[in-house]
Amino acid sequence: MKAVEVKGLHAAYDKRDLGGAGEILKGIDFSLEEGKRLAILGSNGSGKTTLVKALCAMIPTSGEIKLLGNPVAGMKRREIASRVSYMTQVSQVFFSYTVFETVLMGRYLHGRAGLSSYTEKDREIARECMRKTGVENLTGRLLSQLSGGELQRVFLARTFAQDTPVLILDEPTNHLDLKVVAGMAEYLKEWCSEPHHTLIGVYHDIPLALSLADELLMMRDGKAVAFGERDELLSGGLLEEVYDFEVREHLRALVKGLS
Amino acid sequence: MTKKAAFIKILSAISFSVIVMILAVGVGSVFISPSAILSILSHKLFGKELSPDIIPTMASILWDIRLPRACCAFIVGAMLSLSGAVVQSLLQNPLASSYTLGVSSGASLGAAIIIVCGITIPALHFFLLPVTGFVFGLATVLLVLFFSARLDGNLRSHTIILFGMILSLFVNAILTMLSAAYSQHMQRLILWQMGSFAGRRWEHAAILLGVCIVGTIAIMLFHKELDLMSFGEEEAQAVGVDCRRARRILLILSSILTGAAVCFTGVIGFIDLAAPHAVRRIFGASHRYVLPMSALLGGAFLALADLISRTILAPQEIPVGAVTALLGAPFFLWVYFGAGRKK
Repeated sequence: MKAVEVKGLHAAYDKRDLGGAGEILKGIDFSLEEGKRLAILGSNGSGKTTLVKALCAMIPTSGEIKLLGNPVAGMKRREIASRVSYMTQVSQVFFSYTVFETVLMGRYLHGRAGLSSYTEKDREIARECMRKTGVENLTGRLLSQLSGGELQRVFLARTFAQDTPVLILDEPTNHLDLKVVAGMAEYLKEWCSEPHHTLIGVYHDIPLALSLADELLMMRDGKAVAFGERDELLSGGLLEEVYDFEVREHLRALVKGLS
Repeated sequence: MTKKAAFIKILSAISFSVIVMILAVGVGSVFISPSAILSILSHKLFGKELSPDIIPTMASILWDIRLPRACCAFIVGAMLSLSGAVVQSLLQNPLASSYTLGVSSGASLGAAIIIVCGITIPALHFFLLPVTGFVFGLATVLLVLFFSARLDGNLRSHTIILFGMILSLFVNAILTMLSAAYSQHMQRLILWQMGSFAGRRWEHAAILLGVCIVGTIAIMLFHKELDLMSFGEEEAQAVGVDCRRARRILLILSSILTGAAVCFTGVIGFIDLAAPHAVRRIFGASHRYVLPMSALLGGAFLALADLISRTILAPQEIPVGAVTALLGAPFFLWVYFGAGRKK
């Protein structure tokens, strides 16, 4: 089955901009099989974040989006969130919850509604997700006391706690130390190795993106420049064209400095 | 927060509230001791014999004057701070409250129209002013929500805050014009707006209690959604919260609470802002604790403020709104800096 199918997708942050000059996404088509790992690449302002927001139906769109075979249009919020978990770029924190409370909130859809609290099973899963992202020792700390990197890992744990077949990450490694990035990449690969798990990621870190992905979607000016197998797309000069920059030459020069 | 720590904190909050209520009904021109209070209450509630040393006027002062008044103050405080807690989380703005949405301006305008025009409707009797205030307050909020939704289908916080402020200013301008044009009613208008619990009876308390209980339970049903929405719209949506629906329901519920409170007592500031903040400092941010504890401590705080307002310059009364701000500001600072340093 297709995890994601997108046909003629246009998107804007205001309904009135659809079809006009304010459009951010200007007609995108692609489809991703279940179990694949997609990296969305493109320079700043190319529409990467807008695309993943559109996939989760968070902004006005036209065109067709299907998640796991069903059209997103007309889906209830909880139906979307039981298929896709989406980790946004870390937001401002206004109220100081503890780390554990925050991760536990990822279990929202799994719990009962109303006055009841989260179950012991939800708590166990939250603890497990905290171990996986290495924040288990922060359990009782307040969000306001965390560093940017710690905060990022807490939100990642919450996203894992949501436990959906499709995972969308927007810049998951912002603020993170190399060691943490490497650990997280390992865990993401492990997560993807389970059947039907599909990962979609927006990354600024190109080497990381290439190591995690088996498919690439390259974007420029709100359009998909190329979509396909990673190795196939990398064989030409597409990467340089998308970023309008000698990417590989630059990266090679950086690595040479280390040896 | 461990279960034990939470238990101790909740127990202390409850004891504090009980002590405040005993003071609120006991202190005044006639002092009534706690044991006398107990005796009178058990006489009134369970029909037990009054102890011989209690004179009937004392029982009457307690049961007919002080107790309904203190109960009204407590319930109004609970309603105001509960709705303050909700609106702050929904709009992710620690300075917001139902007043930001125009409830108080709307209610004041409604009351002003009744006072100025001298309208009387016999069927509503002394409920005419509250009912009109309530209707106008709620209408203002609905107007704010309607305009915000027209401009921004997602009902984002800054849109709501902006329209709330614009409409409040507009309504306030009409109010100012009314009071200038009908200056003979100015004093009554100002008194109404400053808020007071003088002369509140059991009828008031019963209505307020009904609204308060229903509203509190309805809001508590959304405690998980409130937790998630206080992180922002996208975060909450990503986890599966239907933000538009939850936000509409919660804004209207908290406006009903504030509207009911304002229409019986006038505009009392500061509680809605300070109580939820203090509670978040003490109990953490989780709405499972924030909501009920805001209601409890907000209630106790307003009952205390009302006690001070009627005793400090006795026999003269000062507006309770002035007391809440005078008392609240230093208390707020103490909670904010004092508790912050210990952590």
